[in-house]
Amino acid sequence: MAGRVALAAFAALLAAFLVLPVLAVVPAAFSARSFIRLPPEAWSVRWWGTFFGDPSWRRALLKSVEVAVLATLVAVPLGTAAALGLARLRGIVRRLALALFVGPVVVPVIVLAVALYAVARSAGLVGTTAALVLGHAMLALPYVALNVGVSLAALDPALGRAAAGLGASSWRLFRTVTLPLILPGVVGGAVFAFVTSFDEVVLSVFLAGPSAKTLPVRIWEEIRVEYTPVVAVAATFMMALAILAAASFRLLRRRRA
Amino acid sequence: MSAVRFAGIGKSFGAFTALHPTDLDVADGEFLTLLGPSGSGKTTLLNICAGYLPPSRGRLLVGERDVTATPARRRNMGMVFQSYALFPHMDVHENVAYGLRVRRVPASEIARRVAEALRVVRLEGFARRAIRALSGGQQQRVALARALVIEPDVLLMDEPLGALDRQLRKEVQLEIRRMHLARPRTTLYVTHDQEEALVMSDRVAVMRAGSVVQVGTGRALYDRPADAFVARFLGESNLVAGTVAATDGTTATLTVPGLPHAIAGSAASGLAAGARAVALIRPETVRPEAGGLPARIVERVHLGEIVALRLVLGNGLELWCRRLAGTDPAGEGIEIGWDPASVSILPDAA
Repeated sequence: MAGRVALAAFAALLAAFLVLPVLAVVPAAFSARSFIRLPPEAWSVRWWGTFFGDPSWRRALLKSVEVAVLATLVAVPLGTAAALGLARLRGIVRRLALALFVGPVVVPVIVLAVALYAVARSAGLVGTTAALVLGHAMLALPYVALNVGVSLAALDPALGRAAAGLGASSWRLFRTVTLPLILPGVVGGAVFAFVTSFDEVVLSVFLAGPSAKTLPVRIWEEIRVEYTPVVAVAATFMMALAILAAASFRLLRRRRA
Repeated sequence: MSAVRFAGIGKSFGAFTALHPTDLDVADGEFLTLLGPSGSGKTTLLNICAGYLPPSRGRLLVGERDVTATPARRRNMGMVFQSYALFPHMDVHENVAYGLRVRRVPASEIARRVAEALRVVRLEGFARRAIRALSGGQQQRVALARALVIEPDVLLMDEPLGALDRQLRKEVQLEIRRMHLARPRTTLYVTHDQEEALVMSDRVAVMRAGSVVQVGTGRALYDRPADAFVARFLGESNLVAGTVAATDGTTATLTVPGLPHAIAGSAASGLAAGARAVALIRPETVRPEAGGLPARIVERVHLGEIVALRLVLGNGLELWCRRLAGTDPAGEGIEIGWDPASVSILPDAA
């Protein structure tokens, strides 16, 4: 009994350690003063007005959404194709290919950023939406491939044989059997891809230039100049979006199950 | 014509030979069962026939057509899987209709043929049920309907009754047999269950370690097995080891240490005088016989309509004897014999 209480207390402490610093940004966003202090001395929503009233914040938010949507649209088909290909491989080839696809998650982001910056510069892509979309898609692709891979592994291989035996071409098999059954994995991968791109900052700082600033880049710039609660508003808004995305995915999954 | 001919078909995976070069003919409209323990190559043979596995050597003919290189989807064969492999996101109707939609059959004809197929497997009224709402036996019948509705040249079944309980399995066996007799269709059926093979098949091919050991009617395999392996695999058997005393090619005699007389019986092929061999004496042919071999009943097992008796002969040799319940001899001591015409002398397969 005492053991259980101790364990519960430890778990609560750990959860607090993980979550509280992140949640601290929420009260900060509702401060009436023009500096961040916890807890705020007076409450107000004035900084929300500032956030949505300032064209540069609005532009950054829209750019983030645009890049995240496009990066998701690039990463989902590619990641799904990668998962389908990986499922057909065996042995050492499979392990090597898997390592290659998971690479972007393992390699330090700053290394990727420097490398991509060099490539984008010589291609004249720095400061373009295209550079951000491609960079983010690269980061997001492993999440899609892994998510879809899990769904694929749960698929009875006899289903493919059954469809082929009934005369289906591989495209028809994919369209009518495989895709509908791995859809939860694809949707999950898409949510991960969207969130990955939406809060990505390191690559974006390198690739955004002055013309394609995303929300995280704009937050980063703002903090370097002045540390006002509008930054907390932006962060709270992003957090809410991320929680919404994860929650809706969970809900969707439960409905299917 | 949709007779199937395996001509020297073999399959290796690296150094491992899953199937030795095999010749096997299935006649048009014949129900042939591949019977063997797991790892005997029966599913390999079936998968090669379906086109799921390319053979390492040999040719596969359906009718006069060489389909060795034809992909599965162009073979027009109906397959029933052990796991049923029904599409879980489609209802019963859509599962059965799948092969017809692929063939671009008009919608009105699809409706008619699916309804007919569901009637044949006695699932009328289940068309709009979800797959997971069906019992194992119902799922198995949907799988059968899905395979039959495309009017396949060859029907393939891979242990389709394995997941059903015993009572249901017996019913479905007879059902499949009746369906086959009503509408004969070239059928290859894989099982490791000897009873299943005997109930349903026109002929049975017994497989072992990647080879077909013997092909024949259930009756022929039971009465005249090619070797001790087949004898052991089909039905109950007493196998008495000894040495071939003499053989003329059709009959042989076997000397068994401790028995006063040699055992006479029909000779299987491949016997030579002086070689080690076994005599197959089916338990139901062992009978009480005044003046026969003296034996002691050491165990009685009641199996319902049958009583199995474990007998020990004077030399310590054990024999099982099966009698109809009520006709089994009372007491412990007994004198026994058997009909020499029902005995087979077989080479001893290791």
